[in-house]
Amino acid sequence: MPQRAKQNHSAFLLTVGLLGWFIPGAGYLLLKEIKRSIIVFTTIAIIFSAGLYIGSIGVIDLVGATPWYVKFTQIMNSPMVAFLGRLTATGSYPVYGRPNDIGQIYVTTAGLLNLLCIVNAVYLAHHRTAKAKEN
Amino acid sequence: MLMQAIFAMASFTAPEHIGTTPHPMLWLIPLAAAIAIVYKATKLPTIKARTFLKEVVVLSSTIIIVMAVIALALCILGWLITE
Repeated sequence: MPQRAKQNHSAFLLTVGLLGWFIPGAGYLLLKEIKRSIIVFTTIAIIFSAGLYIGSIGVIDLVGATPWYVKFTQIMNSPMVAFLGRLTATGSYPVYGRPNDIGQIYVTTAGLLNLLCIVNAVYLAHHRTAKAKEN
Repeated sequence: MLMQAIFAMASFTAPEHIGTTPHPMLWLIPLAAAIAIVYKATKLPTIKARTFLKEVVVLSSTIIIVMAVIALALCILGWLITE
């Protein structure tokens, strides 16, 4: 693969990955997989919102004693979660017990599902480009 | 309309009341469904409503049934150990 084409390919994969991170399902939209992107966006948005509704925005804890992998999975929903993290960093939204557990499970699961979709969208983009080059 | 929007936003700033009863286990069902929906959306080569729904129902049922079986097995194990 020539150097220029290789760089373009990497930039495209990076764009798909970043777009999928900023808006769940947007990576698929770039690949013209509209049904897939609508399903992914709707499901992740509902699960993330349900987590926030159950446990309040206090479940997003990016500065507290939460383990790093929980912070990582929460931020995988979207970088916009960092904004909510700044709001909750003041400790104004305390949440304990079951609502905290269930809310956090929902929010982290939404983040992990988005990570799965990002990886899958990037793989799909790579696979399509490779297939197009073969033909 | 504005007041409704404000109330909706405010409901995200205070946690829901969830007691220490077995009922919160029901929160597993929408989560299992969501996992099945997203997983099948990434795995199916083409998405057709009928096939997609069938696959999602099968996978979410499998998750729930297997978790119930594991919970039951752990209950029996716990009972055998403590008796």
